[in-house]
Amino acid sequence: MNHEAVLTRIEKESFLSRIGDEIAQAWAIAIKDVQAYYLSPTTILWALLMPLAMWSCFVVRQGMSGEAGVSRLLAIITFFSTSSVGPVIILLERRMHTYDRLLVAPMSLWTVIIGKSLVGFMFGLVVCVFPLLIGMIFFGVTIASPVLLIVALLLSSAVFSALGTLFASGSAQMPCQVLIPTMLLRWPLMFVSGVFIPLDGMASWMRTLSYFSPLTYAQDLLNHAIVGSVIPTAGTVWLEGVQFCKLVGISQMGGIQDPFLDFSVLVVLLFLFIVPSLMLHQRSRRLGY
Amino acid sequence: MSDEYAIQVMNLTKYYGKLLAVDHIDLEVNPGEVFGFLGPNGAGKTTTVKMLNTLLEPTGGKAYIFGYDVSRQPYQAKRQFGVVPEESNVYTEISTWDNMIFTARLYRIPGSEQKRRIDELLELMELQGKKNDKVFTLSKGMRQRLSLAMALIHRPSVLFLDEPILGLDVHSSRIINNQIRQLNTEGTTIFLTTHQIEMADELCHRVAIINHGQIAAVETPERLKAAVEGKRSVEITMGNGGYTKECAGLAGLSGVKQAVRNGDKVRLFTSDPPTVLRGVMGYIQERNLPVVAINTTGPSLEDVFVDITGRPIGAPRRKFASEQCKGCPVREDCESEKEATDSGQAPKKHGGGFLKGSCER
Repeated sequence: MNHEAVLTRIEKESFLSRIGDEIAQAWAIAIKDVQAYYLSPTTILWALLMPLAMWSCFVVRQGMSGEAGVSRLLAIITFFSTSSVGPVIILLERRMHTYDRLLVAPMSLWTVIIGKSLVGFMFGLVVCVFPLLIGMIFFGVTIASPVLLIVALLLSSAVFSALGTLFASGSAQMPCQVLIPTMLLRWPLMFVSGVFIPLDGMASWMRTLSYFSPLTYAQDLLNHAIVGSVIPTAGTVWLEGVQFCKLVGISQMGGIQDPFLDFSVLVVLLFLFIVPSLMLHQRSRRLGY
Repeated sequence: MSDEYAIQVMNLTKYYGKLLAVDHIDLEVNPGEVFGFLGPNGAGKTTTVKMLNTLLEPTGGKAYIFGYDVSRQPYQAKRQFGVVPEESNVYTEISTWDNMIFTARLYRIPGSEQKRRIDELLELMELQGKKNDKVFTLSKGMRQRLSLAMALIHRPSVLFLDEPILGLDVHSSRIINNQIRQLNTEGTTIFLTTHQIEMADELCHRVAIINHGQIAAVETPERLKAAVEGKRSVEITMGNGGYTKECAGLAGLSGVKQAVRNGDKVRLFTSDPPTVLRGVMGYIQERNLPVVAINTTGPSLEDVFVDITGRPIGAPRRKFASEQCKGCPVREDCESEKEATDSGQAPKKHGGGFLKGSCER
């Protein structure tokens, strides 16, 4: 056997080559999940039709502008598509014991978690393309800052995908044990995040709650990126926000909150969702579920 | 810790809450060995193997795979072994080829070598014709062969096999058995967990028997069998008419400790086969019984297993017969326990040696 060859390779591996291996392994996990789970017609139809249905009802009722509607639609799609399918897949794989295959492979737990989150992230981005194109082609939607839009979509998809992975990292063994609590969480979040009711039109108690929702920051950043038509009210001092807007090339801000705040909170949330996932996975190794 | 052993376990312990599933076990598996790991249901086999596979974190003790600590050096340890679980955990939604490609990427097989290696393994497992088929269309045996192929992709030094041929068709079983032998010939260390005693008896260099979370015995199959007194037997195969009431007298022959009937065969357990054989010949001739064959057999590994653990392999744990015996770690089917139940006195202490299973009153 080439036991000596294996040992030699391990001893010779540098830190950088190990990082490269882990990235490649995370990518392999993502590609496998796309092949096995995400390319089914059911998944794609669900991801497209459900948010479209919600958005069209709301836009028709509210008489919202195309830009404002598209920004909210992208927020809903990102939120649902990235955080819904991933947890179900993780639990299905736990039941089928195919998840064990990832855990015994020579890679860190970080890589497993990032690989599983990566596929939700990619799925959310792909699904967002269609409503954006429809809005631009059929509703004449224009983008105030394409750079900020890309950043907002990337960051939002990453945050919500990590949130989905966190849902599935606990002791639940059946998909329904995750689906029900997450639905109970998602729907209230949508109502307090400025998606259905604009942030500046909320009652003060709702506005307070909105600060605790990750969707608030994602939705507001998308508004800044797409709408860009509302001039901030006099007296608002957003020094970082003004510099941030200059950096990404917009001169007028469409969101309500400081975009720099939106960006910063989303980055912090990304780590706040991934680190507990790792800790819960380690807990499962200790407790044996 | 030593890398002279393929697998080394020192004081390995696992608690699930207050339940002690694996009780401070020690084990060494030599490189190139086929090592059998037997035990009844609930004995701690799966927990032990999961700790060796890094799926479970030990509560105490250490485990090493070729010198690498599975807790502190999991990356290096994982490079050494492959795992074939009892239920083949292959991805049924993608094809055979895609499963292999995914595994090759996970184990960082160089791109230039992937196709060649995958083709080689699929040919070995006779799955070349199924490489583009979705795995959900494959039979159970084919999926298990695919699982074995995936476990071998990185040429592991140690292979963990959990019931590799359970429930498989003859063709798949034969392929897998042949592959196990071939791999061992090439130097792979095999850690085999199985309920199929014949497989362990046939393949294993050494066998460990775990019971109630403790290692009850570790020896070669032959030495284990030799140590079990009174388990040699004379087996009589009856002819036309089979077993009749006249055959019942065989159990009373001199030297017979126990008579067990199994279909058309009667097995007379004894520590003195020649004496029993003489008695059997005389008995048969006197009554003109329709005997087809008479064999003398040594104890089987299953006999050893039952002797050590107190129950057949695969049998469920039984509830206590007596409140007074609850503190005894050897409870199932214990004769002393039954006597204690009748007399109302608890056993005083337990039997020693590696043949644990008896206790004194």
